[in-house]
Amino acid sequence: MLQVVDLTVSHGALQAVRQVSLRVDEGEIVVLLGANGAGKSTLFHAISGLVRPCAGRITWRGRDLTGLRAADIVAAGIAQCPEGRMLFPRLSVEKNLVLGAYPHRRDRARVARALEDVYSLFPDLYGKRHQPAGALSGGQQQMVAIGRAWMANPKLLLLDEPTLGLAPVVAEQTLAAVSDINRRGTTVLLAEQNAHAALSIAHRGYVMETGRVVLEGTREALMGDPRVKEAYLGL
Amino acid sequence: MTLLMQEVLGGLVLGSIYSLVAMGLTLVYGVMEIPNFAHGHLYMLGAYITWFLLVSAHFGYWPATLAAAVVLSGIGALLEWVVFRPLRNAPQVHAMIASVGVMLFLEALAQWLWGPDFQRMPTPYGRVLNAGPFTVSEQQLVVIAAAIVCMSLLYLFLKHTPLGMAIEAVAQNRTGARLVGIRTHRISLITFGLSAALASIAASLIAPIHLIFPAMGTMVIMKAFAIIVIGGMGSIPGAIAGGYILALAESIGGAYVSTNYQDVIAFALLALILFLRPSGLFTKGV
Repeated sequence: MLQVVDLTVSHGALQAVRQVSLRVDEGEIVVLLGANGAGKSTLFHAISGLVRPCAGRITWRGRDLTGLRAADIVAAGIAQCPEGRMLFPRLSVEKNLVLGAYPHRRDRARVARALEDVYSLFPDLYGKRHQPAGALSGGQQQMVAIGRAWMANPKLLLLDEPTLGLAPVVAEQTLAAVSDINRRGTTVLLAEQNAHAALSIAHRGYVMETGRVVLEGTREALMGDPRVKEAYLGL
Repeated sequence: MTLLMQEVLGGLVLGSIYSLVAMGLTLVYGVMEIPNFAHGHLYMLGAYITWFLLVSAHFGYWPATLAAAVVLSGIGALLEWVVFRPLRNAPQVHAMIASVGVMLFLEALAQWLWGPDFQRMPTPYGRVLNAGPFTVSEQQLVVIAAAIVCMSLLYLFLKHTPLGMAIEAVAQNRTGARLVGIRTHRISLITFGLSAALASIAASLIAPIHLIFPAMGTMVIMKAFAIIVIGGMGSIPGAIAGGYILALAESIGGAYVSTNYQDVIAFALLALILFLRPSGLFTKGV
């Protein structure tokens, strides 16, 4: 469904992503493992159209997305929940969510339906819907961020380190919600440092180091790989 | 007591104008982080265009005011597109210098088109009403009422329309806004146009009371910057409150101390507020 081919992205002289190829098939949860600075976020930014790649291609259901604007990519069905959440802190939770459906803003019934879906996935948010998003706890802000991205009814959801900075129990709940979103029919590409938890919900995965994909495989293969065990699972 | 009432009225009139101008300035600052030094000169241009439409094209007062606001929103959008968009990824100081350049250009343009002389704008609301010792002109009431209508409409627009929410979203997190599919360039364009239209309306309202001249924007922009610093950069309620606070301090202070010290009082107030609350009254804290 999503195919990234030989993608290279630079920040000035630094190549943050070097000739990365990966694919995500419909219905999957694919996890992208890697330490800080491995290039996961840059890759996500390129897929979402925030930065222009210098080489390579991104295709989506047979259509070339390379170089399209961010708004066109959301409209094409790829939404991202970015690292650091990037919420609108002084707007209410509900406004944050409604803005997530910005490309469909004229279809009010669709926005209302999506809102209901988010509240059914994260019932805690319903009681806080009139509070400013910035006043919520970290875990709840993460729910808003995931909910906001999901409001666009994406076919593919990019989640960049959704458990970063969360307490272990909250991180586990967050990943359970990701799994739930996937069961409801959304394909997920998940960037994580928390390899054990991420692999436990994923179907396949890739490992990135210094801008390159160094390893790929099914969940079982990655969990059994000695390099993954040593570097990411702490075994 | 009558003197105080009279000065309060004058303060409310001036405060309405300050608030409208400062709201536009703070909107642009919030969305684009550009301190637009040319904003006062957009206000000046609005006054001249209203005056031109009234005197030379024989428009009515309100049609001229609205038409000038439309023209200014176009000029504002054009400025964003031609001057500020190319500087989007440059250091902020570049946009600042560009805005000073636009300011000088607009002042020279007005001088070339309309000359350096003072102009007086006619108004259909020229009558003066007396209530005992208390005098108020119709135009003063028009200023206050029209400013309240504009502020309410802006509030409804920002809080209850998708486009208004998108403007607030871009101001609060530009990358987050791009990721939900908001075209941030378009929002910048609209914000600039809206800001210029507010300045134009303020100028059309006050011009029959004050005079029109090419440098009329200079003092207003100084005040507007003081106001948005007092109110908290980027905060709309802050711009409104700051505008009225500054104007009331000026007119009451001017009456009881000396009108020569009006501007001293205004900026002393700025210094005092910043001493007590360094980030402004309505800080955008999370």
